[in-house]
Amino acid sequence: MVFEDIYELYWQKIFRLCMGYVNNSELAQDLAQETFIIVWQQLPKFRHESGIGTWIFRIASNNCLKQIEKEKKFSKADLPVNLEEKKQESLEPQIQLLYQFISELPETDRIIISLELEEVKQAEIAGIVGLSESNIRVKIHRIKEKLTKRFKENGY
Amino acid sequence: MATNIDFKNLWKQQTAEKPSIEELLGRLKKFKHENIRKLVVTNILLIITCTFIGMIWYHYQPQMLTTKIGIVVVILAMVIFLAAYNQLFMNFYRLDNNLTNSEYLQNLYLLKNKQKFMQTTMLNLYFILLFAGICLYMYEYTSRMKVLYAVITYAVTLAWIAINWFYLRPKTIKKQQAKINGLIDKFEEINNQLKD
Repeated sequence: MVFEDIYELYWQKIFRLCMGYVNNSELAQDLAQETFIIVWQQLPKFRHESGIGTWIFRIASNNCLKQIEKEKKFSKADLPVNLEEKKQESLEPQIQLLYQFISELPETDRIIISLELEEVKQAEIAGIVGLSESNIRVKIHRIKEKLTKRFKENGY
Repeated sequence: MATNIDFKNLWKQQTAEKPSIEELLGRLKKFKHENIRKLVVTNILLIITCTFIGMIWYHYQPQMLTTKIGIVVVILAMVIFLAAYNQLFMNFYRLDNNLTNSEYLQNLYLLKNKQKFMQTTMLNLYFILLFAGICLYMYEYTSRMKVLYAVITYAVTLAWIAINWFYLRPKTIKKQQAKINGLIDKFEEINNQLKD
């Protein structure tokens, strides 16, 4: 597979994964770009031991995990819990909330749910994260419950 | 209140403009550069210093063994430091991206602990060798001075060493430790997320 095709196919997916992780569009763009730089550099060495998707998602998620190092201890200013006033009919705020809630999960949960929402197969998620498939299934279930609860708390 | 929110549908609606390939590859250069710069600067500085010290040997032709040992010890201090520093850097650089998250975190955790060791033990070793080398090196020249001047020279040098050892060294170590311990704790915490 040539780099251009991979880039075309995976850019949005990788961006969303990073966005779910940091909930900051600028930072997510940076992380996504770094991921593709690594992909570009390592593509010739790619051995097809795993699917290309698994390979790219591993690089992207590891890069997200690594960025803790660069993180200047920024404290996420807590958003007001009551967002009732901003509630609109359009989907916009719901999307924003989804990404915000995901970014507030524990780090590995952010990766797991992002991959699930990207419709990556659970067996593949297991191969990316390094947990058993049954473990992943349980985790996804719990994370979805958590997210639903958070949405309810905000009046959805 | 709707309870079934279609997360997947919401998720997919987030998009970002894709930078052109040219733009992306433009960053590649910067990315490489950022990573390597500090390594190159440290290497060049220490190599220049070693060469300079070597030139002193060549130029002044020291007579006493203590001076020669002193020079060797100082150079040794820098070479050991540089070797350890480069080794650590390469470990980070070569860290395989294509591992599972769980293996990757494990590796990051181990590397950070190595770095912690290096920052304390290696820094101490570096300082001790450097100071020992300087004291030995000075002996030949102070022995030709009047006793009073020799004492003053050593006193000033030892005072400077004491400031380094008792003030600057602990301060540097403390600062580095605070940062690295924070990271180690964080990596451990994330590692534990995968264990339960």
